[in-house]
Amino acid sequence: MQNGESRAGHAPLLEARGLSKNYGDTRALDGLDLTIAPGEVYCLLGPNGAGKTTTINLFLGFVAPSGGQALVSGLDVATHDRETKQRLAYIPEQVMLYRNLSGLENLEYFAALGGRGSLGRERLTEILVEAGLERDAVDRRVSEYSKGMRQKVGIAIAIAKEADALLLDEPTSGLDPKASNEFSALVERLRGRGVGVLMATHDLFRAKDTGTRVGIMRYGRLVTELSTDEIGHADLERIYLEHMHD
Amino acid sequence: MIRHIIRKEFTDVVRDGRFRWCSILVGSLLLVSLGHGWVESQRVQRERQAAQATAREHWEGQGEKNPHSAAHYGIYAFKPRLALSFVDDGVDPYAGTSVWLEAHRQNDFMLRPAQDASAAQRIGALTAAQVLQHLVPLLIILLTFGALAGERERGTLRQLLATGVGRRELATGKALGLSGALALLLVPAAAVGAAALVVATPGPAASPLARGAVLAGIYLVYFGAFLALSLAVSAWARSARTALVVLLAVWVVNGFVAPRVAVDLSKWLHPTPSALQFARTMEQDLGSGVDGIAPPDRAAITQALLEEHGVDSVQALPVNETGIYLQESEEFSNQIFDRNYGALWDTFERQTVVHEAVAAAAPLLAVRALSMGLAGTDVEQHRHFATAAETYRREMVLLMNNDMAMNSRSGDFTYAAGRELWEEVPPLDYAAPGMGWVLGNRVLSLIVLAAWLGGAILVARARVQRAEVG
Repeated sequence: MQNGESRAGHAPLLEARGLSKNYGDTRALDGLDLTIAPGEVYCLLGPNGAGKTTTINLFLGFVAPSGGQALVSGLDVATHDRETKQRLAYIPEQVMLYRNLSGLENLEYFAALGGRGSLGRERLTEILVEAGLERDAVDRRVSEYSKGMRQKVGIAIAIAKEADALLLDEPTSGLDPKASNEFSALVERLRGRGVGVLMATHDLFRAKDTGTRVGIMRYGRLVTELSTDEIGHADLERIYLEHMHD
Repeated sequence: MIRHIIRKEFTDVVRDGRFRWCSILVGSLLLVSLGHGWVESQRVQRERQAAQATAREHWEGQGEKNPHSAAHYGIYAFKPRLALSFVDDGVDPYAGTSVWLEAHRQNDFMLRPAQDASAAQRIGALTAAQVLQHLVPLLIILLTFGALAGERERGTLRQLLATGVGRRELATGKALGLSGALALLLVPAAAVGAAALVVATPGPAASPLARGAVLAGIYLVYFGAFLALSLAVSAWARSARTALVVLLAVWVVNGFVAPRVAVDLSKWLHPTPSALQFARTMEQDLGSGVDGIAPPDRAAITQALLEEHGVDSVQALPVNETGIYLQESEEFSNQIFDRNYGALWDTFERQTVVHEAVAAAAPLLAVRALSMGLAGTDVEQHRHFATAAETYRREMVLLMNNDMAMNSRSGDFTYAAGRELWEEVPPLDYAAPGMGWVLGNRVLSLIVLAAWLGGAILVARARVQRAEVG
């Protein structure tokens, strides 16, 4: 594979080149190289402290790299903070919203900040419904929402942004199986639209089911990379556990 | 983009029950204090006018008597209140509002409301200025402490910044949105204040509305400094709780510690004598003179008069030697008054400068000095009126002594003047200093307040830019 070009032959939406991050003496990320092309869902697996969230933070520009580069559509995050963020959507483990605003008002706000202020309320309501929120919930204040409902607003925020790439940090953590399945279906739809997805997760089943590729991380390093077409669920679990043993 | 942030912040805050209750509380206190201040100010103004008219009637109707006795009879002068004094009564409750003007004496001011008030009344007295100086900043803190620290704690800051919005845009939008919510409280209060100014008795200074506008601007700068400082702390603090604790500490230092420190420091640097000590010094100086200011030598005065008029006895003089001597005594005591009171006033003004300098650590001191100045209730304007009253007293005594000296003869104790002479003493027509004079006295406070605003904005910009995402 050529540097800067993904397996699928497209210019990568997300690319890490020797990406490293130190916190004091601790090496949180150690020379990560990866590329994600349009329509790819790349799942980062690994235990806590493996470097998954650090990788996402580096792509979001929330922390500065100690070495290497994080690139979004070929632009270095360190020097093109705003431009790269405009191409990204982000869904954290727990989508946090403004309790005094309704789901629709929250979406309106985040969409406007993401440069989609022109979307009307009708369109935004459609997006919320597409994300799985009940139509009669869109005008209710978020203080009445469950975690699953908030997560759906988070997904709607990502859809409304129409970003090239999606960063997901443990997005199904704490969701019930039905909500997790709906979430996977939604990621699949976005993938179909050519969105590149980087998802950090502990959920091996979801990674195999949703991802096109899986990277296993440990101690800040990408220890192996697999194509989900070539392995089964049991293989993935076995390989993962093998890498977790010293 | 920024208008979306402003709108969201405004909506979020206005829908917050805590803001609504706090605003209702502070807004009610502000309106009540404005209303009470205005009613009280109008009552005092009416009483002052009535008392001044009565004093004038007493002066003109005192009957026929020796002019020097009339000078002893004296007249009261009442310090007029500026229209804006209903916002801030400043030093008036402590410095007094009226003075008795009589021969030989420069009396202290009387009618000090603070003297008649119980301890509880002194503490409980709430003016609009106190609400604006203490409670509105507290409301700003309560509104702002979680602006960034709370977003970080909740996790919304990550999501916000992931949209691509700039940190400065976010902080500016938040500041403007919160300002909009505060405006819901302050604009009605300002409108009530302006209406009260329009219908209030104008007082002895021109353009009360212009003063009111400048005062409003000064309070806006003060609130702006607090808002920026609160945002800076919120951006810096690791948690909303830490931000709140730090900001409450700042509020306590600003509102309670620094003013106390300023008083003690100014007294230590520029001590003033006790009332007893001052009275003793005055008595001593009036008795024997001081530093080249000597009591008049009556024998020398008499001799000079005899030589001037070419006569050999005071009875033969065409003027009343006693009247001449009394005026000479008056001139002497005036020099003693100028020396002692002048030194005392100068000390007070130096103490005020210390207060203004301490404002570098607490903007309340700067805004308080400016507020009292524009309301016409600061030490300088008290001095301005005291000086005008003293000048009036001296002119009145001079007129009486001259009349006695020119229209009677030495040893003639039967001479009496009447209403015609008393009417020659015009009513005290006091013009308070203009706004330029007031602001000119408070340049240091203006600089300090502007520096607070500028500094707080710069610190906020720096902290916001470096704020951790969490």
